Amino acid sequence: MAKKEMIAMILAGGQGSRLGVLTNTMAKPAIPFGSRYRIIDFPLSNCTNSGIDTVGVLTQYQPLELNTYVGNGHPWDLDRNNGGAFILPPYQNIDGSDWYTNTANAIFQNIGFIDNYNPNYVLILSGDHIYKMNYEAMLETHLASKADCTIAVLEVPWSETYRFGIMNTDETDRIVEFEEKPANAKSNLASMGIYIFSWPQLRRSLIMDNDDSSSSHDFGKNIIPMLISKGMKVQAYRFSGYWKDVGTISSLWESHMDLLDHPDEINFRDPEWRIYSRNPVKPAHFIAKNASVKSSCMTDGCRIYGEVSHSILGHSVVVEEGAVVKDCVLMPGAHIGRNCHLEKCIVGLYTHISDGVAAGAFIEEPDNPYINKYCTEGITVFNHGLTIKANVQVPGNAMVDLLPHLDPSKNVIEEIHNVW
Amino acid sequence: MISKAIGLILADDPKILLGELTRPRALSAIPFGGRYRLIDFNLSNMVHSGINTIGISTFTKYKSLMDHLGTGSPWDLDRKNQGLSILAPYISTDTYTGEADDLLAILHFFRHASQEYMVITRSDVLMTMTYNDMIRAHEESDADITVLFNRDGSEGGEPNLILDMDRQLRVKSVYQNPARPVSDYRSLGVIVIRRQRFVDLISEGISRGLNVFTLAYLLRQCDHLDVRGFEYRAPVMYINDIASYFRSTMLSLEERYQEALYHGSCPVYTKVKDEAPTIYTADAYVQDSMISDGCLIDGEIRHSMLFRGVTVAKSARLKNCIVFQNTYISEACELENVIIDKNCIIRPGIKLIGQEQYPMVIGKGAIV
Repeated sequence: MAKKEMIAMILAGGQGSRLGVLTNTMAKPAIPFGSRYRIIDFPLSNCTNSGIDTVGVLTQYQPLELNTYVGNGHPWDLDRNNGGAFILPPYQNIDGSDWYTNTANAIFQNIGFIDNYNPNYVLILSGDHIYKMNYEAMLETHLASKADCTIAVLEVPWSETYRFGIMNTDETDRIVEFEEKPANAKSNLASMGIYIFSWPQLRRSLIMDNDDSSSSHDFGKNIIPMLISKGMKVQAYRFSGYWKDVGTISSLWESHMDLLDHPDEINFRDPEWRIYSRNPVKPAHFIAKNASVKSSCMTDGCRIYGEVSHSILGHSVVVEEGAVVKDCVLMPGAHIGRNCHLEKCIVGLYTHISDGVAAGAFIEEPDNPYINKYCTEGITVFNHGLTIKANVQVPGNAMVDLLPHLDPSKNVIEEIHNVW
Repeated sequence: MISKAIGLILADDPKILLGELTRPRALSAIPFGGRYRLIDFNLSNMVHSGINTIGISTFTKYKSLMDHLGTGSPWDLDRKNQGLSILAPYISTDTYTGEADDLLAILHFFRHASQEYMVITRSDVLMTMTYNDMIRAHEESDADITVLFNRDGSEGGEPNLILDMDRQLRVKSVYQNPARPVSDYRSLGVIVIRRQRFVDLISEGISRGLNVFTLAYLLRQCDHLDVRGFEYRAPVMYINDIASYFRSTMLSLEERYQEALYHGSCPVYTKVKDEAPTIYTADAYVQDSMISDGCLIDGEIRHSMLFRGVTVAKSARLKNCIVFQNTYISEACELENVIIDKNCIIRPGIKLIGQEQYPMVIGKGAIV
């Protein structure tokens, strides 16, 4: 097979447990984002826009939605004769079988796949982040600095350094020390979880790491510190654009609001760096007489009869007459019934909110059974595929999903259908 | 299910001209409904009917049609065997005489096909349906030709083919644009015919000097062939001229038509563009309109159809307008009853007012 300059491996097996029920049936990279995208569209589009034509997508947790979505890679121009997009689940071999125990282990188990393409460089990405980045420019820096490994870093506010893996660098941006979530950081350069390795080097390190029984087989915790301790050249690549980890309910909601308040920060409209996605077969969206749409963002197949303000709507969302939707994120296929009033809500895929439902922090009910620790800042979440009873009320900081042993009088769910 | 039929779409009609809109493109490549081209409707219908071998006949100005169709993958027609073929004029002699070259292209394609039946459609009537019931009816009746019709008569405008049929829906005669119609049975430009019969009829036609293939030519064989009607009852749209194009688009904003065209069991496929979602600002005011992806709306829009990537700047006002892809409408423009083609720029403060019966058309790439 023809040798490749660089191939990408996207780690998409994580659950993203802090997104609560939203990731019950699908891995985090499959979560809809920004009206017409899924989170994984960002790394996939970055790859194709950077000229990378071979991408392995490592899946493990709830992969059905993600597998279906990525398919043969056609939407990202990754249906290639030589290369393309590949879903790489863990598999059985002659020695038995193993789940991917951690990030480095997932790549270790796919050494055979990478060897097949025999690339000079391997790009390791995670499928969890929203950003636009030219990996080709990063590779150029990697080549120019003659590094063994280059890590993309982002300057974060000093007050937030304790949340990130922090890279301490010398004056040439060579990384001298790595600290995972330090209490007193010496630098504010956070790792973005994007690595370029020279493949022979990474291959050796993975095998060595696998033989080390004390290792937890993680890139950040084990592989990078090992390289630094051996005196290898690990270089930082400074990135300064929009980058967001949508790992929590509040960051998922906030990053959507960013799209409305600062659309130029990520700029989906840039023809030079398009974000590709699987397109639904739907007509243009329709805004009816007497409807109102302001400061919002929506896509094909939506039908709006009510009032939508400062909200992001996925495809095929219906907002019926008299409904008020404010500061909400409505995922594809959500249906908001007549005279509903929703504020700061995240409504999952194909969830049907019946007429007259009120949800949001304006409802005060501190002992509501759906109150959930993952929901903060007054955000209300409705899981995918629910049908919510008519005229019920749900307060802020609540996460609506089937609760076992719930008093039937408090249950707001009429029906659940399988969405993946 | 794979259909027993092969498809032929007549993608252009030299008799149907839509002014500035057909100047750069074939009839079937005219944009419609925010994100489609006219050909998407019949092409999707064929795909939904399980027809996976489709020839598209066109003669001139087919660049934009070719761009749109590509390999046929949006319609799932990028098949190993068969799929989509564009039947451009087939020049069989060293000197292009234009005589029957279009017909030869069609003939060559269908002569060697294996399917038993053929579905032939035009591009000037829009509907979403499958042709399966019609093919079944054709088989059962053992007719030579089955033609789809409705009872709109001359309502749809010219050109119209009016059918004179008996009680068994057997066509007795065919009238083109009759002054005094004998019936309100209007041909919808879809026919089913046995493929071999079609090849024989066309070969014979060429030998007698037939130059241009039309459905009327086939239907006029009713004096010696068994030609039957098959009724279609759902709403359809006719695109014969600028006025009917404008009217059809405005009708498609009505929910009854939206349901019939877009939300039934036969979704309309089209080329995807990967535009960003549409952004509405705090000053946006939109009523009774269909808006496609990639637009930026900062002005006022009433009863209009916007294609992909259109910008409507602050305090611009649109009413009864159709705006094609990537057009930019600047601040404080006032537009009413206007059709604006692709890639136009309307400068700040421009006022353009057309009439409902006679909308103003701004040609592709114009700067006003």
